Amino acid sequence: MLLEIRDIQVHYNGVAALKRVSIEVPVDGIVTIIGANGAGKSTTLRAVSGLTAISSGEIWFDGARIDTLPPDKVVARGIAQVPEGRRIFPDLTVEENLRTGAYLRTDAAAVERDLDGIFVRFPRLKERRRQWAKTLSGGEQQMVAIGRALMAKPRLLLLDEPSMGLAPVVILEIARIIKEIVANGVPVVLVEQNAELALGLANYAYVLETGTVSLHGASRDLHENEHVKRAYLGV
Amino acid sequence: MTEIILQTTLNAVYAASYMSLIAVGLVLIFGVMGVINFAHGELYMAGAYTVVALYSHLNFPFLIAVAAGLAFVGLLGILMEYSLFRPLRDNPLGGLIASIGFLLMLQTAAVLGFGVRMAHIKPPIQGKIELLGAVLTYQRFLVIAAAILLLTGLYLFLRKTKIGWAMRACAQDREAAALQGISLNQITRIAMFIGASLAGVAGALTAPLVSPTPYMGHSVIVTAFIIIIVGGIGHLEGAVVAAVLYAFVHTFVTTFYDGVVADIVGLVLMLLVLVIKPTGLFGARERA
Repeated sequence: MLLEIRDIQVHYNGVAALKRVSIEVPVDGIVTIIGANGAGKSTTLRAVSGLTAISSGEIWFDGARIDTLPPDKVVARGIAQVPEGRRIFPDLTVEENLRTGAYLRTDAAAVERDLDGIFVRFPRLKERRRQWAKTLSGGEQQMVAIGRALMAKPRLLLLDEPSMGLAPVVILEIARIIKEIVANGVPVVLVEQNAELALGLANYAYVLETGTVSLHGASRDLHENEHVKRAYLGV
Repeated sequence: MTEIILQTTLNAVYAASYMSLIAVGLVLIFGVMGVINFAHGELYMAGAYTVVALYSHLNFPFLIAVAAGLAFVGLLGILMEYSLFRPLRDNPLGGLIASIGFLLMLQTAAVLGFGVRMAHIKPPIQGKIELLGAVLTYQRFLVIAAAILLLTGLYLFLRKTKIGWAMRACAQDREAAALQGISLNQITRIAMFIGASLAGVAGALTAPLVSPTPYMGHSVIVTAFIIIIVGGIGHLEGAVVAAVLYAFVHTFVTTFYDGVVADIVGLVLMLLVLVIKPTGLFGARERA
């Protein structure tokens, strides 16, 4: 396993947000975490990235324990995150936003190549490369956020609600991009409220309910699960 | 009449220069750390007393004393960051209260070391420029030149260097910056050094002109708060523009009416901005 989350707990002001959550992510493919608002999906990703401290349990990445590392050190190990709400830098240009993703990289020539690669993949960002990021549409901002994370040349990509607030046609485009990323050899952890989309993309899925994993299994199986159908797929 | 107007303009430019240095430092610290540094006026005072100690008492050359003031107060900033703001990173109100404690410590240290009375400093640089009947002393000219130089340098640093860039990213969204691999500890340490040292150098350069006291930080911090509110909290260019605006209004009102009226006008200016554009002249975005 590339990433192993073992029995972690997270407390916010004494209240448990995660109760003994364990999740495993293999070296390829997409693992999704679905669940309702407040189930602890984002908290899980925040814990992996070192933004939120865990109160017990362990997180291992590629054979090393990472749960005590600060966020910048987690990025240095190869884990990039596209946070909930995109969190692009509003007063930096599109190009500057993308370049911050490569902050820790020292291979300048390869960074330029990767930036060109991002612009090939997202032609709309190329047109807007000198624009302030805050002037972009929601879908374009999501592309900046994903492009920024890819500029880190990650070994694992965490995506938190990439479909949030986007029009259906834009969501399809984001889905295509996620497939492309995985096809290029970068495994993805996808957190989504849009369970239909997530189960359609992922190989394996975890269902989080009030801070615990209530179900997990192959996406195809969960898609047919009666509880998942009723609670998350609206059928 | 033109003579008085020209003279008042020169006075305003001088006031704008050192107030910009102080306000920009305060804004930088707030922008990167989200903490209101109440001790900022005392950092200015510490810069002035570095000059009292090294130049007046120990007879070092003035410019050496100024450089020492810059470095010493910058290090005080790093000390504050490490001992107060870092442990309280998730608690901006706690940071503010801790900075008030630090302010009292600095004040007390100055009283113990130098007494409560005004320190008089013999003018290090003699001579003046005369311009159509108006006078600008070299001492004041030095303050203006240093402010322009330092603020231009800071601007280039923030725009052109990787660290500067990371600092802007932190000021816009700290967590998102951390997710790009930017070390918050490193960036806040640098921001604190720069912010504090700007206040320190302002105090050091103006020390011979103001007669330092341990309590000189009070009036400065109030003015600095007005300036950063008018400019838009967290906005560096806004702080410079607001400092110039405030200095001109304040200096002209002081010259043609009196100082108390000028203070009132300054506060009214702030109130007007708060009523008409609460985010300040330049502030637009909401902080996350």
